[in-house]
Amino acid sequence: MGGWGLGLGSERQEMPMDLARADTGTDLKDPAYRKIRDLIYQISGIYQPDEKTYLLASRCARRMSVVGAKDPSQYLDHLTVRGNREAELRLLLNEITIGETYMFRSPPQLEALRTMILPQIIESKNKLGFKRLRIWSAGCSTGEEPYTLAMFLLEARETLLKDCSFEILATDLNDNSLVAAKAGIYGEYALRNTSEVLRRKYFKPCDDKRLQASDQLKSLIRFDRVNLTDDSKMLFLKGMDVIFCCNVLIYFDLASKRRVVQHFYANLLPNGYLFLGHAESLYQVDDSFRLVHFPGTSAYWKPPVGYTSGSKP
Amino acid sequence: MNEQLEKLRPRINALDTIPTIPTIIQPLLAMMQLPPDQMDLEKVAELVSYDETIALQCLRMANSPLFGIRQVETVRRALIVLGMKRVQSILLSCSLNQLVPADKWALDALVFWRHSMGCALVTRKMAQMIGYPDPEKAYLTGLLHDLGILVNSLVCTEDFRKCVETAAAKGISINRAEEEHLGFTHGQSGKILAERWHLPADLTEVIEFHHDVASAQNARPLVSMVHLSDLLCRLCELGYGYYEVMGVEFTGDVAWASLVEHYPALASMDLARFTLDIEGAMEEIVGLVDAVFRTKR
Repeated sequence: MGGWGLGLGSERQEMPMDLARADTGTDLKDPAYRKIRDLIYQISGIYQPDEKTYLLASRCARRMSVVGAKDPSQYLDHLTVRGNREAELRLLLNEITIGETYMFRSPPQLEALRTMILPQIIESKNKLGFKRLRIWSAGCSTGEEPYTLAMFLLEARETLLKDCSFEILATDLNDNSLVAAKAGIYGEYALRNTSEVLRRKYFKPCDDKRLQASDQLKSLIRFDRVNLTDDSKMLFLKGMDVIFCCNVLIYFDLASKRRVVQHFYANLLPNGYLFLGHAESLYQVDDSFRLVHFPGTSAYWKPPVGYTSGSKP
Repeated sequence: MNEQLEKLRPRINALDTIPTIPTIIQPLLAMMQLPPDQMDLEKVAELVSYDETIALQCLRMANSPLFGIRQVETVRRALIVLGMKRVQSILLSCSLNQLVPADKWALDALVFWRHSMGCALVTRKMAQMIGYPDPEKAYLTGLLHDLGILVNSLVCTEDFRKCVETAAAKGISINRAEEEHLGFTHGQSGKILAERWHLPADLTEVIEFHHDVASAQNARPLVSMVHLSDLLCRLCELGYGYYEVMGVEFTGDVAWASLVEHYPALASMDLARFTLDIEGAMEEIVGLVDAVFRTKR
């Protein structure tokens, strides 16, 4: 129960038996899970609160049966002392982020864009006479995120974005992912959060089970292969207003992560925002960005030159 | 003190004629601030039994699946199952809840108590993390910070209801909607009742200034913690039941700066992780509040 004490704290000593939630299985109480959780946080920046340990346990279970670990503490050895620990950690991270990509995966991010971030950016751009918005989906995988952003921007074009033009840059390292992203063909899983209205508006039938992104949608997105740790390439991606980089940094070691984040910082315009995956954080990775909380999500903000704490973002 | 608020004062002052509330609140508040080992089970049981409705709530909750499957038939047994601290909170929130009749709520009562309970838990957790010496007081002030919302619901029901509607429609804070439409805030009206009830001075400051930390005098750290917890709850879907348009850079908040001065540990707090912890605990907060209040209305 994560030290919140479901109610009111210190009652743990008062209660003769901790009967609460006793039926959820003793396995979850194994301290090895907490160690695995902390290890993942330390390495990848992905954090799972105590109350969600069951999710972590189910993700570990799959890897545990593959490597033949009998209990979480044995599996912890696979992640920390065995020779192939780095590979195993990567496989576990794959399990943890699996199924993360579908369209409209994070409505709170889009709400924050719509209600706060874009109005703010547009206002400051207008003052300078700039009309163009640039959004970058860094690590776009098979394209769900950039297509979501394209739909979102098109839907706002009559209102919020009526005086703006916009473009989306979508990059990934994996060639196969990029081929799939450019094709833009999606099944039910990827479209599970996409309304019937949007499906009809922005997709065309492909075969009996799948839909394909319309040319209008595709025309907003420029796909490119980019290695985020490639300094020379990163230098040419300047002038971004918002960067999405969800569940990508988790695979980098601390030094590379810092370098990538510094590139993001340099590539964003002042007042620009960086979005990470829901459970990711830059704690102890970077202190140039400011963490800004929005309802149900948070993002990293690049303050304008001369900003001092206290003035509102 | 402005004109609208002055008109309200006599109506607020008449509030303590409502049965049981002040009777139960004073001893409860005193008891809730004792360390756990000095709490007297018999005394808490006595307070619970004082009000039949509340006694029933406690039994119902002790029998809810949240606390395992068993048969709890007495108040004393319920106290052991639920823990005294938890029961005291239930008691306090139930007795305040009774203050407002069902038809006068401007907010959904469940939503209000989720927010208050969430704020109580977050404030206490924050207090523990930064080394504030009295986490139980932090809990208590978090739980009661919005007393003024109950006052407004009760004494200017229709106007306040319009405020909440406006706030929800525009996505602004209730505080701002009150400033614009009522001419006073729940901080100001809450303070009048807090003084009338002779609530402790620091609690009264939290009630009055949790949206205006800079005006807090003696209890600035406590007020700051509740202010930050209130923001965190509203950002983690434990707000007032509508989408509030907000972007908060905590380190830039005046409460943050003021709290860091007294409690430097705050500066190194992993806020992203803290937020995820709150989200993780949310389900249980909702479960707890729903178990107490859902069947009631």
